[in-house]
Amino acid sequence: MSQSQPLPIPAAVLYVPRYPIETARLRLRPFNRGDVDAVYSYRSRPDVAEYLFDEPMNHEECAEAVRARTTQVAFSGEGDKILLAVERRDDSRLIGEVSLIWRSVADRQAEIGYIFHPDVHGRGYATEAACGLLAFAFADAGMHRVYARCDARNTASFRVMQRLGMRQEAHFREHAHFKGRWDEERIFAILDREWGGAQRCDGFVTITKI
Amino acid sequence: MAISDQTIKTERLILRPFEKSDLDGVLSYYSLPDVQRYLDWKARDKSEAKAAFESMRKQTRLTRPGEVLTLAIVRKSDGKVMGHVSLRYTDSTAAQGEIRFAIGPLFRNKGYASEAVKAVVTLGFEEFRLHRVYARTAGQNEASARLLKRLGMRLEAHYREHALFQGEWDEELHFAVLDREWSRGAKVHEITRHKVA
Ligand SMILES: CC(C)(COP(=O)(O)OP(=O)(O)OC[C@H]1O[C@@H](n2cnc3c(N)ncnc32)[C@H](O)[C@@H]1OP(=O)(O)O)[C@@H](O)C(=O)NCCC(=O)NCCS
Ligand SMILES: CC(C)(COP(=O)(O)OP(=O)(O)OC[C@H]1O[C@@H](n2cnc3c(N)ncnc32)[C@H](O)[C@@H]1OP(=O)(O)O)[C@@H](O)C(=O)NCCC(=O)NCCS
Repeated sequence: MSQSQPLPIPAAVLYVPRYPIETARLRLRPFNRGDVDAVYSYRSRPDVAEYLFDEPMNHEECAEAVRARTTQVAFSGEGDKILLAVERRDDSRLIGEVSLIWRSVADRQAEIGYIFHPDVHGRGYATEAACGLLAFAFADAGMHRVYARCDARNTASFRVMQRLGMRQEAHFREHAHFKGRWDEERIFAILDREWGGAQRCDGFVTITKI
Repeated sequence: MAISDQTIKTERLILRPFEKSDLDGVLSYYSLPDVQRYLDWKARDKSEAKAAFESMRKQTRLTRPGEVLTLAIVRKSDGKVMGHVSLRYTDSTAAQGEIRFAIGPLFRNKGYASEAVKAVVTLGFEEFRLHRVYARTAGQNEASARLLKRLGMRLEAHYREHALFQGEWDEELHFAVLDREWSRGAKVHEITRHKVA
């Protein structure tokens, strides 16, 4: 999908990806208003929301979320989010989303996340898209450490982290309440020197270790 | 949980809120670099340490999230103030508490911190009905890590280079224990408390 309008990038932007971010099979690009139905097709599903903070969303909530995301495209300060639509290069279908949150400016820390339509699970797309975003985080935005969090039972999610070369740093037990029960959470992380640059972002990410 | 004054007696210790006359005991360790990390109020000199002490003296209740109960670690045999233990009520819906502690160098390696921490974790579970108590410590703080492990707490996190601390990349460990996992031991501590209206 081509970007017809200029991106709503504020003046004080420090880091903005060169859009679209392209990987072997995917394209990561800012959301636009035409994405609501595609987002609704997976964010409305209880199976997708099971381990997410958000409950399944109705169409209106998806429209609202997409509207907010159209401006979440660059880092200008702490807490800023980059939220990108992921589409397949061959058929331009929007299949999911990835996010990067600037958690600490002083300590150069960021948090990564990903959500994909169940239709396309099991093909390495989440790993590939996250790889493209990690490359931006380390090579362009100069992050020192990127971490990801997930429910301890969300095996599919932490397997993505493992494939990306992230190490498990935490497994908290019953440290909070989540959707009416005790929460268990894992945190995985990777440092800039451990990342060392991905040779190629495909489903089977090859990471250069230095 | 409207308990405003706690006194716990263990085999060798009295744990009680700070009193005005405890100032000198606290000054002997408060400003040490290895202690500073685990304090709410940093203090580089005596006057800052004094102000910090005054603030710690007010930490006598644990009724709302964010509040801290700080107890002096006093040796029974001679009444010396050796250190303190703090329990912070971090989350009310999930009933979580964080424990921190410090002992002056003169009194280390005698098991005093272990004895005090054990009593205060037990207090957290029994009196304040916490579900989980955790502790955070620097990655290189082996004395503290061994102590927490010895008391039966589990290493739940080891963050690497998650933040800069005094200009260097920091490592942080989290230890935790759940109410149902906590071993109270055979010894029942004598707990006296004074409820306020
Ligand atoms: C988390 C989530 C994105 C993971 O999706 P996924 O499809 O399992 O992950 P990937 O896209 O990286 O695919 C990897 C799988 O595809 C397989 N695969 C097939 N072809 C592949 C290829 N060309 N390259 C890499 N892997 C491939 C892998 O073997 C792997 O399967 P396995 O886990 O059974 O070994 C997905 O489960 C999801 O969207 N869940 C709901 C939202 C959510 O919980 N998000 C995370 C919140 S913390
Ligand atoms: C960490 C710290 C509290 C430990 O205090 P301490 O009173 O020396 O701790 P203890 O005496 O209970 O335990 C230390 C050692 O003494 C040993 N010991 C000696 N006599 C003992 C006795 N009678 N009973 C039990 N243990 C005894 C312990 O086995 C332990 O040995 P180990 O470290 O080889 O396992 C102290 O070094 C300190 O204040 N450090 C700075 C602040 C800090 O790090 N706080 C932790 C923040 S969470």
